[in-house]
Amino acid sequence: MMPSTIRVTEKYQSDANASGVRQFIAASIAVGLTILSANRGMAADSDRGAELAATCAACHRLDGRDRGIPSIVGMDTEKLTGAMAAFKSGARSSAIMHALALSFSDAEIATLAEYLAAQPKESKRQ
Amino acid sequence: MTWTRRKFGGFAGATLVAALGARAARSQTKARVVVIGGGIGGATVAKYLATSSAKPDVTLVEPKQRYTTCFFSNLYLAGVRSLESLTHDYQTLAGRYGINVIHDTAAAIDPVAKIVALAGGTKLPYDRAVVAPGIAFKYGAIEGYDEAATQVIPHAWNAGPQSDLLRRQLDSMEDGGVFIIVAPPDPFRCPPGPYERASLVAYYFKQFKPRAKILILDAKDTFFEQDLFEDGWNRHYPGMIEWLPGQFTGGIKSVDVKTRAIRTAGETFNASVANIIPAQIAGELAQRAGLADQSGWCPVDPMTFESKLQPGIHVIGDATSAGDMPKSAFVANSQAKACAFAIAAALKGSEQIALHLFNTCFTLLAPNDAVSDAIVFKPQAGSIKITDIFFSQLGESAEARRQAAQQADGWYAAFTHDVFG
Repeated sequence: MMPSTIRVTEKYQSDANASGVRQFIAASIAVGLTILSANRGMAADSDRGAELAATCAACHRLDGRDRGIPSIVGMDTEKLTGAMAAFKSGARSSAIMHALALSFSDAEIATLAEYLAAQPKESKRQ
Repeated sequence: MTWTRRKFGGFAGATLVAALGARAARSQTKARVVVIGGGIGGATVAKYLATSSAKPDVTLVEPKQRYTTCFFSNLYLAGVRSLESLTHDYQTLAGRYGINVIHDTAAAIDPVAKIVALAGGTKLPYDRAVVAPGIAFKYGAIEGYDEAATQVIPHAWNAGPQSDLLRRQLDSMEDGGVFIIVAPPDPFRCPPGPYERASLVAYYFKQFKPRAKILILDAKDTFFEQDLFEDGWNRHYPGMIEWLPGQFTGGIKSVDVKTRAIRTAGETFNASVANIIPAQIAGELAQRAGLADQSGWCPVDPMTFESKLQPGIHVIGDATSAGDMPKSAFVANSQAKACAFAIAAALKGSEQIALHLFNTCFTLLAPNDAVSDAIVFKPQAGSIKITDIFFSQLGESAEARRQAAQQADGWYAAFTHDVFG
């Protein structure tokens, strides 16, 4: 997005229609700010996802090398949100997961699911 | 415009100076966090700070090279797990996460100058300090039971040499002997711990000393998950374990270390092997650094775990007085994460996120019979309150309990990886 702003500035230096260019620059800056804040939003979601996943990490390994406890990294988002819904309603039985699922909001579960789905398993990295 | 070499050199030099200046300013502003205590709370907070987007310099001060977990150490007493399998080092925290691990003891904290002084003479300046000192024992609450006495009658409430001493005494006890556990008053580390210990020592006795008895002398009238324990004792070890509540004992008054005679308000009981778990307070550093109040525990802000007594110093784990939160490894880990995120947010000047505070506990009635509980906490009115609590139920199938025991095993591996790995 930076190169296009520079190009507009160069154009402004040789363009007689200064007010039109100013509007274009203003629009470009607005677009740029939107992209910037969207990127910030994504970074914040990722931070939030990591913070929410820290709760999971007390029982599930985030490198996927679990034994005796289901692995959750790299899990499809719908599968994870479905499992959390089942734990929340009690359709799937687990005192621990029931308590956790009740405590997380739907928005938090969605953020968490996106974050976990994006995490590679250690076996895939090697 | 024409440049002379001299002018060009001067300009480049100025740019270089400006760049170096910026770098020096950046390194000066990199926040320093000193974490004191390498147990579950301390190790967790160090790791989560080091991996946070605030990227502070993290120093972890812990005298021991290796840490043996209290949780699961009752399985060592049962002869099921080795102490080695419960022992962890700090090499991954140092190597993978770049934490500066210093094996020394924190001698003092200057909260005004913001410096931690180590016994070895090193001074560590900090922007934030996190203190995770665990517990200390109130010796003298039971007459005759002091620190020296622990070498004869172990408390085994810190895992390691104490666990080993108790294990050797149980091993050499005659069949038909009496093993007495003195259970502490509230609040204490690991509420189900003394009763899980009775269960798992009974598991060992059942195989190797079937005529042995276990007597629990309690300071309390009830205990955590009592119905689940008593059901488990009846099913697995009928007649082997007897529990005497505080209203029966009238309190545990004194012990004769030589004869292992334990005197309560009413009777005196003679043990073949004894395990005295004393009353507890926050670890010694918390007392010295003015972090503990008259209760002996450390009051903290429910959102940030910053001390209510010493600003800039956070306290986590067993040493805290944190509303309804029990003293468990899981709680220490949960608090450590909340504390790390709060410190990271403060360092970055960003908004603090809503906390999720949990406790989960697997308790073994036998190596193939585990129960679990889950507790949800929320900061409320300056304290931390329980909002939900779920327990295993009486009458669950043997298969469900066997699966819970397998989960407990998987939990141990995942949890210690979360803390030390």
